[in-house]
Amino acid sequence: MVGSKRAVGESIRYLLLIMVLVVMIFPLLWMFRVAFMESGSSISWHAVVGSGWTLGNFMDLFASGGLGRPLFNSVLVGSVVTVGNILFCFMVAYALARYRSMTNRLLFSTVILVLMIPAHIVIVPLYLICLRAGLYDTYWALILPWLVNPIGIFLVKQYIESIPESMEEAARVDGAGEFRILFQVVMPLCKPALAVLAIQVFFTNWNSFLFPFILTSHDSLRTLPVALALYQGHQAIDWQHLMAGSAVAVLPVLVVFLLMQRQLVSGITAGAIKQ
Amino acid sequence: MRRSGLGGLALTSPWVATFALFWVFPVLYSLYIGCTDYRLLVQGYEWVGLDNYRQLLNDPDFTGALKNTFIFVLGTIPITTVVALVMALLVNRRFKGRTIFRSAFFIPSITSMVVVALIFTSLYERGGYIALLAELVGLTPPQHGFLFDSSTALYSIMAMDIWMSVGYYMLIFVAGLKAIPDELYEAAEISGASTVRQFFSITLPLLRPVALFVIVINSIKSFQVFVEIFVMTKGSFDTSTAVYFVYEEGLTTAFRIGYASAAAYLLFATIALFSVCQFLLMRRRMTTW
Repeated sequence: MVGSKRAVGESIRYLLLIMVLVVMIFPLLWMFRVAFMESGSSISWHAVVGSGWTLGNFMDLFASGGLGRPLFNSVLVGSVVTVGNILFCFMVAYALARYRSMTNRLLFSTVILVLMIPAHIVIVPLYLICLRAGLYDTYWALILPWLVNPIGIFLVKQYIESIPESMEEAARVDGAGEFRILFQVVMPLCKPALAVLAIQVFFTNWNSFLFPFILTSHDSLRTLPVALALYQGHQAIDWQHLMAGSAVAVLPVLVVFLLMQRQLVSGITAGAIKQ
Repeated sequence: MRRSGLGGLALTSPWVATFALFWVFPVLYSLYIGCTDYRLLVQGYEWVGLDNYRQLLNDPDFTGALKNTFIFVLGTIPITTVVALVMALLVNRRFKGRTIFRSAFFIPSITSMVVVALIFTSLYERGGYIALLAELVGLTPPQHGFLFDSSTALYSIMAMDIWMSVGYYMLIFVAGLKAIPDELYEAAEISGASTVRQFFSITLPLLRPVALFVIVINSIKSFQVFVEIFVMTKGSFDTSTAVYFVYEEGLTTAFRIGYASAAAYLLFATIALFSVCQFLLMRRRMTTW
């Protein structure tokens, strides 16, 4: 009796799970399906089910150059910003974790403060500053403001504080300079935290639309999300090509997430639960 | 023993520099600009004090956008929170295929907002998938598609937003559920408390701090809704939001930098007030429990 009751409970659980699953993944499956459809047809239910499969949409996008440049920009900007964040977040986090001076404590409170100020407040002034400083419509506008981020500092600082200082002391006794201790002793120990940071920064940047959009206007500087959002406006919506471009934007995120989900998930929730 | 001062300063200087230049300065500058009639294409500007703020409160475009923003926040947050919690409870216990479900639920929240907005634009089209579903359950979908009708556009975008963000908050709830000690449930089991009773007397009260975090973070994010509005409707069909208003006033056609800065600050004040209220409300409830 108890057994059958449990079986009913389990079935209900799976039924619910499968319903949620269908709702959650259908839109993405839809995107991939339309991306591989023959172009030129409508995307009505019949057309989508009945159409054949083709790589043509992807070929067209790369051949026309409409996708190549934004893809290059996204990779370039993302890589530079990621390297910058690894280096600078690590340096700042180390200083905050190990040099406990008054100024540093003050700095750390500003890190927390920044996390609480909504980003929309800088839309107008950042646009204006970039315009006046000659950064507008250059790669600098896409890179410079994003080289260090407070969440990264926060995560790495917590990680460094969990590492015993004895390693550094030992290196110091052996006569290693501060620079060497920083980059050859502590940094390798922080690899797990820095890897999570790198992936988070890269994909946040990869998906970012608002600031790349307002800080550039030239086609040659468009990143992938910006190019996709503006592609729609040009003519009557060409869903097959638009979804092919979208698939290119989603695929790297999906692959990296599925390969590294355990580390990423713990990184995402660590900050939330510590509060 | 710490060599404070110079060593620390050298390490923090890149952050201090970019932070001062691209954050502190813009934030303060914008507060100043918000009290002027600065326009990008007009030479010179004058100090107008709080005129912009007064004018904003009487500007139907702004109050309409603010109203839509509140509909967005108040409409999505309760649903997102409850659905995320239910999903967390569903994937919390060990069972076959748990990781697959959990990952699949989370995937929408790591997808680019632009891509999600594009996919849903196609799904919401006239004769599209959602219209088909609506007809199946006996509803009449809007004639020109869900995004081309003032009575459905904003709600359609809200539904998409819930779809996109529940997975992220589910993960946070899962982490919160894990932090609840098993002994509490074991003790409840021994004293004969039902599963429902356990949920309301153990799970829910102990999840309060996590729920507060989820609600506050989600509110701050939702108040700033912009990308989906830009991609899906460009603010038409009564979907303009506060940040969309800032963008439209400040960075397009008239380039009313001063006016837009004031609008951004007014939204900031709203968010701050809202967060403080949530905090006080939730904390008081927590202590009385």
